[in-house]
Amino acid sequence: MDTLVNVAHGFGVALLPINLLYCFIGVFIGTLVGVLPGIGPISAMSLLLPVTLSGTPESGIIMMAGIYYGSMYGGSTTSILVNIPGEAASVVTCIDGHQMAKQGRAGPALGISAFGSFAAGTFALIALMLVAPKLASVAIAFGPAEYFSLMVLGLVVLTFLTQGSMPKALLMACIGVVLGLVGLDSITAQPRLTFGRMELIDGIGLVPVVMGLFGVAEVLLNTEQAIKRDIINTKITHLLPTRKDWKASAGPVGRGTVLGFFLGILPGGGAVVASFASYALEKRLSKTPERFGHGAIEGVAGPESANNAAAGGAFIPLMTLGIPPNVVMALLLGAFVIHGLQPGPLLITQNPGLFWGIVASMYIGNVMLLILNLPMIGMWVQLLKLPYNILFPLIILFTILGVYCSSNNVFDVYVMIAFGIIGYFMRKLGFEPAPLVLAFVLGPMMENNLRKSLILSQGDLWTFVQRPISGACLAFALVLLIAPLLPALRKKRELVALDEGA
Amino acid sequence: MNNDTNVKLRLSNSELWGGLIGLALGGFVIWSGLKLRLGTINDPGSGYVLFYTGILMCVFASAIIVSAITEGGPTLASRWENVRWSKPLLLIACLIAFSLALEPLGFLLSSIPLMLLLLRLIDPVRWTLAVPIAVLVPVCMWWVLKRLLLIQLPSGLFGIG
Repeated sequence: MDTLVNVAHGFGVALLPINLLYCFIGVFIGTLVGVLPGIGPISAMSLLLPVTLSGTPESGIIMMAGIYYGSMYGGSTTSILVNIPGEAASVVTCIDGHQMAKQGRAGPALGISAFGSFAAGTFALIALMLVAPKLASVAIAFGPAEYFSLMVLGLVVLTFLTQGSMPKALLMACIGVVLGLVGLDSITAQPRLTFGRMELIDGIGLVPVVMGLFGVAEVLLNTEQAIKRDIINTKITHLLPTRKDWKASAGPVGRGTVLGFFLGILPGGGAVVASFASYALEKRLSKTPERFGHGAIEGVAGPESANNAAAGGAFIPLMTLGIPPNVVMALLLGAFVIHGLQPGPLLITQNPGLFWGIVASMYIGNVMLLILNLPMIGMWVQLLKLPYNILFPLIILFTILGVYCSSNNVFDVYVMIAFGIIGYFMRKLGFEPAPLVLAFVLGPMMENNLRKSLILSQGDLWTFVQRPISGACLAFALVLLIAPLLPALRKKRELVALDEGA
Repeated sequence: MNNDTNVKLRLSNSELWGGLIGLALGGFVIWSGLKLRLGTINDPGSGYVLFYTGILMCVFASAIIVSAITEGGPTLASRWENVRWSKPLLLIACLIAFSLALEPLGFLLSSIPLMLLLLRLIDPVRWTLAVPIAVLVPVCMWWVLKRLLLIQLPSGLFGIG
């Protein structure tokens, strides 16, 4: 009953005209960046982070969340029609989605992707409503040791799933922690690694780091090759899947939804892992696995549902524990912090309007996306024809303006350009930026919780092992760290490893 | 893999360089941690986490170096094989020039040439399209930010913008 009252309260907040407008802007921009290859939700969210300052916390966070789940929808359009993933979570959709489009079945592919995403998004929201308050009440009992160990686990999971060698990913995570510690020490107020620059006293900003590593570096990588687009030019019809398509897709949508939701909750996991896992599961369960890769609708329905369910699930660790499970959620945490809010176990009780408003707005956003993605598909196709040589200078200009507006400081533009160049060379040498960014956000929190636990336990390191939740997290992290040393597990890791930064 | 893409114990091994850079950074972080004071385990100081993170960095960097020596790795040159390596370099040069010009010239006088260069140098867009885009987009953005959102953009020594 309480949940229903809270949901009604949430809809009261989400249906305010200003919040509806921000929700629409969020899902529209999300779909736009999802559709456009070369710019993803991370770049768009960091670009718009300063805009959230102008409104209420609800409006800003509703918009940011809209960009995230909107991009999951939009990414499939580019994968299906152009065979270039609009964003990383849609990589798998290219395999069968584009084959379906080539066979003249672009409509059903886009249709099942939109309906599957809607069903998955709805399930994830209902589960979020039911799970989050329960988890938050448990999380109140968490001490600094539990928080520290959970963050360690999150980082290790992400490094485990990142493409390339694990020592490289772990080195990136360590660099991220160090960068996060630049500025005044929160306990002793001593400046650290500031090199005498006043601009670094408050630390390095999240926006220039993310925009540099993901926005500028991505553009630098894209300019290396002439992007050829194999756009399906035929008129897209029959967006409503046939009964046969529905029958074939029902199972993959259901399984993808449940799998995606749980993978989304895991720290370090997320939409990309979920879509790959769902594709692998459907191929394994199929009686005719040879159809996969040649236009099997199950290969579109499963991963698209999984990545949307994961996008919903990823809100749980952020909202209930205050721990972002991936880079996108780290940016959302940034939006909370800008408004002086700390997501965590007390958020739901102290700010019920905010929590339930965001959840309700996500449902409204899902409905908006269904409307945006089906009747307006022609518009998105036209947008795909915008050549990259015109698009990338605009992306560069918007990133410069986005960074400058976030702090009104030219120094941040220099930082962004520097991180863009560093990010480009890092990627060329096979170092992925995702662990660095997550560690950059988690670093100060990890340090704070580590120092607090050591002070509270009077220097007893066993406190991390003796507390059950903390001990379990560290044990799991240890297993993942050792796993790549075992040949069988190493092979498995290589199969699921992904390029989060794409 | 051929000799160019999988080399052992050669200075051109890109993995080796990646590891060495990591090792140097780790050494610097350890030194910074020590300089900031480690404190004790009961009361960790400002350099405590930095110091141990630096040690971890050295460990992971050493693992990369060992793997580069024992398993080999692609050469630096092979990382830029079959790609238009000059294009990102041009873009980097443009961005550095822009960052140097931004404060003295201001937003408008630095971003219009930047846009023009990007539109013409990488994958050339025809002049009739490049010039209007390079002028109109920064001017429109400047107008929206300055007039509508009241955000002050750098106006430079000439006070333009």
